Amino acid sequence: MTIGIEHYLTLGALLFCIGFFIAWSKKNAIGVLIGVELMLNAVNLTLVAFSRFGSAEVALSTQVFVVFIIAVAAAEVAVGLALALVVYRNRQTISVDRTTLLRG
Amino acid sequence: MSDFGFHLAFWSLGAMTIGGASMILISRNLIHAVIWLVMSMLGVAGLYLTLSADFIAVVQVLIYVGAISVLMLFAIMLTPRAERDNSQNIKTAGPAGLVVLMVMIATMWVAIDTDWGAVREAALTEQARLIGESLIKHYILPFEIGAVLLTAALVGAIALARQDDEDAAIHAASLQAELEGEGAVDPVDVVDPPIAADASDSEASS
Amino acid sequence: MTDPAGLVSVLGSTLGAWYDFRDLNNLQRLITEWIADWGPDWLASIIAGVLGTLGILGVIGPTLLILIWVERKVIARFQQRYGPNRVGPKGLLQPVADAVKLILKEQLAPRAADKLIFFLPPVLIFVPGVLIWGVLPFGPRMSVADLNVGVLFLLAVSGTTVLVIFMAGWSSNNKYALFGAMRAVAMSISYEVPMVLALLTLVVFSGTMSINGIVQWQQQEDVIFILLFPLSAIAFFFAASAELNRTPADISEAESEIVAGYHTEYSGMRFGLFYAVELGNTLVVSAFIATFFLGGWWLWGLDQWVPSWIILLVKTGAVYFLLIWTRGTLPRLRVDQLMGFCWKALVPATLLFVVVAFVERTLLISEGWDTTVALPVMAVINIALTLGAIVLFARVSRPAPLRRPARIRMAGAQIGGLRAARQVASRTEEPQLQVGGD
Repeated sequence: MTIGIEHYLTLGALLFCIGFFIAWSKKNAIGVLIGVELMLNAVNLTLVAFSRFGSAEVALSTQVFVVFIIAVAAAEVAVGLALALVVYRNRQTISVDRTTLLRG
Repeated sequence: MSDFGFHLAFWSLGAMTIGGASMILISRNLIHAVIWLVMSMLGVAGLYLTLSADFIAVVQVLIYVGAISVLMLFAIMLTPRAERDNSQNIKTAGPAGLVVLMVMIATMWVAIDTDWGAVREAALTEQARLIGESLIKHYILPFEIGAVLLTAALVGAIALARQDDEDAAIHAASLQAELEGEGAVDPVDVVDPPIAADASDSEASS
Repeated sequence: MTDPAGLVSVLGSTLGAWYDFRDLNNLQRLITEWIADWGPDWLASIIAGVLGTLGILGVIGPTLLILIWVERKVIARFQQRYGPNRVGPKGLLQPVADAVKLILKEQLAPRAADKLIFFLPPVLIFVPGVLIWGVLPFGPRMSVADLNVGVLFLLAVSGTTVLVIFMAGWSSNNKYALFGAMRAVAMSISYEVPMVLALLTLVVFSGTMSINGIVQWQQQEDVIFILLFPLSAIAFFFAASAELNRTPADISEAESEIVAGYHTEYSGMRFGLFYAVELGNTLVVSAFIATFFLGGWWLWGLDQWVPSWIILLVKTGAVYFLLIWTRGTLPRLRVDQLMGFCWKALVPATLLFVVVAFVERTLLISEGWDTTVALPVMAVINIALTLGAIVLFARVSRPAPLRRPARIRMAGAQIGGLRAARQVASRTEEPQLQVGGD
């Protein structure tokens, strides 16, 4: 059996779904961020697989896209964790279901 | 891509990635979860290597293992009285599982069933140079926007996470007043603690 | 330089032969080529990896034992005492005795420790410590893996050490261990910034991220980088010694403040592993400083006569001595001093030099200047800039004058410490303290 693009895409899909479930179900804000990171990694894996197996035109642009995703993920984590700190400072908790001041 | 070494690398790294991700799901301690996340990220970096994307792989290790996970650990340490417990799920976790299962079946079906065409044998070489050149030639505008975004995130994170001197002064003053039984303090009086703060600053920097 | 044609051609004929001691990689190359003849590719690459790792471990294991002795002896000289001198001739077997003691000791684990994470770090910390050696070029063709993203690999791998240290400190469930770990993490991620910026000047100027490529650039242009970018070299030296937790910056294991830092709870050989990896990292960092800034295995044509790895070893030894020297001379800094020095001094200075490197590289390429003329001029300009930056830093950070200047009124303060010590020694009829020689 040859390992081809299907294997990588399946792996990426699996990773994405695990991250999706973590991001959806976890109570802790940092847990949610971990899930989001997993999802972004799954997308990166898929893109790099396309870069390796896809046509020659997309080989470079997908990798540049991955670099951008990593940069945006770093920014997202920095701001997300700072938000978690602020929420903790004001409400002594970072559970996403207990910060409900804006609920109507 | 069919020899034994490649199979070994792919399956072991895939197991590492998925295993680490699953352990995040079931680990009860948040710090354990971050360490499992690191394991998963290292697995993904190894998978990049099997796809001969060495620049992306090294950047992955540098950013995720060296920076993001450490940032998460710091955030966990700085929120001491919050729940370190990772096992609690929100109420809609059950339906969420169903939805995720459906998404998983759909995406995996697409991934397996689609005919992705012929395999291209030659991989990109000299990726660092190529990516760098295309970043400052073809993708110069996104590159600039990314730079602005990172700067904004940096400033925003500092502005958010920083304990305000004014807030701290007001807080300390009201605590003091409470202790001495004088009641509430007018915030304006203590907004600018002039001499003491300056003196301590100069001492610290010298 | 006159071409020593006869000798070079004689030496050149042995190039590639397994007994050519100038290139120790030949043997490994021969073995892997022989396996690739009859075996599958993956077996050849696995064998190559195993041989490389064994080679690295075989070199650094004994070297560490000697280094422990060297460091203790040199530090002792700096502090005017003898150092280890009981076990073996001149105390040479002291490290072996220490190792035996550490192995025989009981390995305790706190009851409240997080068991799995507590047991992992002494093992895990070896992984980056060994991996870093893989990209170090000992010669033109002598590195386990000559990656074309070598500099990035170096930074990525050394960055993972932080995580292991955090795991060690957190899982011990000890207040001081956690303090040490948090200090180590905060300091490492701060000092990584000037480190990256200092290396960025080299990458920008030489136009390659391969470590061997940087050495070959220096060979080709006949210049070493410490002359071109002295401030980057100084900043890299400081940042590296901070990342290594060595004495001017060892706040993460300051024994007068927080017991032993992140490895407080590790006893026996577990502590020994931390210690060994710390020493090994010091060695590899000196090797990388020698490679990046002192020309690595190349030394103005001497590498044709002497095996390149010996040149690298000598340069590494010189840098290592410099590290011991700073350790023996400077007192420990406070946390805020260290952080302030990183963010207020090193980061702006290295950033300035990144800009300088960009400008000079662009001028070199676009104007098409002759590098034999342009590079010395640039070197002079950069050295002047470095001196200016250092003088400016000294002016700005001059300590504030005390309000009441106090005169030292200690007895014998007029004569220096050394002379006072000699007088005391001669008065009490003990063996005279000798400073130089043995």
